[in-house]
Amino acid sequence: MIDVIREAGFRRAAVRQFFDTFRATSKEKVARKYGVQGANFIAYK
Amino acid sequence: MAAVCPINLDRERLKAEVRATYAQVAQNPEGDFHFHRGAEYAAEFLGYDLAELRALPITATAPFAGVGNPFLMEQLPAGATVIDLGSGAGMDCLLAGRRVGTAGRVIGIDMTDAMLDRARRGAAEARLAQVRFEKADITALPLGPESVDIVISNGVINLLPDKTGVFNELYRVVRPGGRLQFADIVIETELSEDTRNNIDLWTG
Repeated sequence: MIDVIREAGFRRAAVRQFFDTFRATSKEKVARKYGVQGANFIAYK
Repeated sequence: MAAVCPINLDRERLKAEVRATYAQVAQNPEGDFHFHRGAEYAAEFLGYDLAELRALPITATAPFAGVGNPFLMEQLPAGATVIDLGSGAGMDCLLAGRRVGTAGRVIGIDMTDAMLDRARRGAAEARLAQVRFEKADITALPLGPESVDIVISNGVINLLPDKTGVFNELYRVVRPGGRLQFADIVIETELSEDTRNNIDLWTG
């Protein structure tokens, strides 16, 4: 995702925070298997 | 994540599945879904202020299904023009509307009629005239070039196969000095072709 944001022309693209979004859902196991989590992104024009 | 995922999915079918899933959430937020919803989830998992969410119409908060918290990053200044990609029932738009004030404006973009209906009712109930909602495709925004200060979004861009198209469109509408501050899903491992082609994982 960061690479795509930069390729579009945005600068200083970064991930700021992560979130355990799928904890205590029926998808928790598959989320852990593939390393799926929520994240906050920021980038500037 | 690849810019354009090498998938064999029918994109129109994927859009239809996404619309159908979120229409169900809009109509029955308490239903059986494999992702969390609501204000308590947003506060406990994502760091939203529960008191602020409880002050918003439940029409907007009950179907909330974001994956992060764009408001934990930079402040939204008074007077700013903000767009929310995939605004759903409008919870983040209402929070943004409170921050930018009456001198600013917030435009929620969504493609699900049931969510747009909820969002418009929520904005009216919250008396936030600076917040409005439009039905549109995120890769073809109904906005002029360099007309937006800040783009927010919460768990939507991962649903779109053409991420290059999305970010090129955002670059077109964001003013110089403007920014993106959004939440989405990240995946640490390379997915197999079978997994990438599993439409249930995309719409989840």
